[in-house]
Amino acid sequence: MQLFLFWCAALLMLVFGVAVILNRNPVASALSLVVSFLGLATLFMMLDAYFIGIIQVLVYAGAVMVLFLFIIMLLDLRAENLRKINWPATAGGAVVAFVFLIQVLSVIGRLTDAKKTFPPLARSTIDDVRNVGVTLFTNFNFPFQVIGVLVLVATIGVVVLSKRELANK
Amino acid sequence: MSYFDLLRLAWPEASIVLTALVVLAIGLTNRGTRPAITLLAMVGIALAIKNVLRLPHDAILFNGMLVISPLTSLFKIVSLALAFFTVALAQSESSLRHYAEYIAILLLACVGLMLLVGSEELLTIFIGLELLGLSLYVLTAFDKIDIYSAEAGLKYFLFGSTASAFTLFGISLVYGMAGSTSLAVLAQKLSVTNAQPLLAAGIVMTLIGFAFKIAAAPFHLWAPDVYQGAPIPSAAFIASGSKVASFVVLGKILLVGFDSARGSSDWHAMIAGWSPIISLLAAMSILLGNFVALAQTNVRRLLAYSAVAHGGYTLLGLLAGDRDGFSATLFYTTIYALTLLGAFGVIALVRRETGGDDLQNFAGLGQRSPLLAVCMSIFLLSLAGLPPLAGFFGKFYLFSSAFRAGANHGLLWLVALALFGSLISLYYYLIVLKVIFLDERSTTATAPAARPMLVEVATGVLAALVLLFGVDPSGLVARIVAALA
Repeated sequence: MQLFLFWCAALLMLVFGVAVILNRNPVASALSLVVSFLGLATLFMMLDAYFIGIIQVLVYAGAVMVLFLFIIMLLDLRAENLRKINWPATAGGAVVAFVFLIQVLSVIGRLTDAKKTFPPLARSTIDDVRNVGVTLFTNFNFPFQVIGVLVLVATIGVVVLSKRELANK
Repeated sequence: MSYFDLLRLAWPEASIVLTALVVLAIGLTNRGTRPAITLLAMVGIALAIKNVLRLPHDAILFNGMLVISPLTSLFKIVSLALAFFTVALAQSESSLRHYAEYIAILLLACVGLMLLVGSEELLTIFIGLELLGLSLYVLTAFDKIDIYSAEAGLKYFLFGSTASAFTLFGISLVYGMAGSTSLAVLAQKLSVTNAQPLLAAGIVMTLIGFAFKIAAAPFHLWAPDVYQGAPIPSAAFIASGSKVASFVVLGKILLVGFDSARGSSDWHAMIAGWSPIISLLAAMSILLGNFVALAQTNVRRLLAYSAVAHGGYTLLGLLAGDRDGFSATLFYTTIYALTLLGAFGVIALVRRETGGDDLQNFAGLGQRSPLLAVCMSIFLLSLAGLPPLAGFFGKFYLFSSAFRAGANHGLLWLVALALFGSLISLYYYLIVLKVIFLDERSTTATAPAARPMLVEVATGVLAALVLLFGVDPSGLVARIVAALA
């Protein structure tokens, strides 16, 4: 049953991940991404990471994607015109991706550890949320703060780059 | 370990972030004139250097997320100094519309450099890499009205994010094997596992992001466009700061974390590991960089291709793999950064007067402003590696350490290749000098407006430094060797 669920969720993720790229309508792309995130959330939950799974739905599928849709609608983006596809480049990219996939599969397939059954997770006595919070504010406090700076850079960058310039300045 | 300790040890970084915030805030008021912001940023950087000097001698936080050692302190100072000179170059750059934001992002990029240099843990290294990368993408595209700048920014962003995705994948594989992201623990764990193919895949993928940052062929495709299209201070910072920090952290990852998977790139005796991969990158960079640079007519593009070649030379020290080799790498990349910053300073001045940075814009520079021409020749000849300039000693140190390393001079083939490359490079550097000193001014250049003092002074100081480190490299070398001990 669990394996079946895994394949369902994984397939959902992949199909809608591809749909994000292939859709020419940005709204449809964004909605495909939501569905892909739901698949990811399912996978997290199957790994007993309930908190991260729920956060995935609440924050990514909920808040971030709604923001995406807002932006798309504010900017009034229309469906892109179908561009001419550069076949040699597409084929080249597909070949590279395929070779890469084969490589990763063969490497992981040869690993003896990968064939062992996963030991059952130790039931932690503290709940997820507390665990995440404690880790975030103790051992990973420093990177956590730095990510704050990183987000600041992204914010400034987006504002500067997307600001409309007056003609004479 | 309290938050206060953390703040005390990360105070140099924190003070730069504070400076950036103050710069942003002042930029919003009408007091935010260029000189005021420049002064503020420079004072902030100078204070941060002072704070680095006051750090304790040795400290390790959270399994190596923040490491204070003589080596990290030295290179934090180098990063800050490079940012200082970049701010000086930016002051008179007229294409930068939002000056306060520009300086703020530059300072935050400098925080990224300091994190990269000061961390021995893969997660923090990755975050530092992203912080630096994200800032540099914005700095590259900053002059968005110029289509070259916008194109360069987009190219840099697309290549860069793909490269960091690979690196993250690689790091996750390595983490999966070792169960830790700390380089020291990693070294310990990897020396006893026998998951060879997975480790190899992890290492190759991790290296991609760094090869991208140091613009080693075949990951160099962004470099020519970025060097040519980005605003000059951004290009200068990408060529200097980003490169130094990447080499420091690449050296730490290879020589500490992945030490057990070194392999060997000796001629006739290749053993799988990271060493053959790096030697391949080095050889390709040296050949491609030098040969393609021969055909360039734009000085910034020429410097970009020569940067690819110099990245290749610098990898030789890491291949040597001993303390001598690493210190040669660090010395060379520091000198290279100073030289390139200076060269970009000259380019900024020439561009201001003639409106471009193609070769013909440099025609007659020798008559127009002899001092500037002398500075440019110091930088270019140092890049070519002629004595008595710093580049000569750097190359000598680097090549000799690679030559001595390994049994029976196994790296001789690479050293020979590098010497051959340097010989080619002499030709295209001399072409630039020929244009500067011998060619007649093609058009009557616009009468030189008042030159920005700050850029001139910065360029002069950098030229003096290149000359000084060439005549007497022992001071810096001794410092680096002592820091590595």
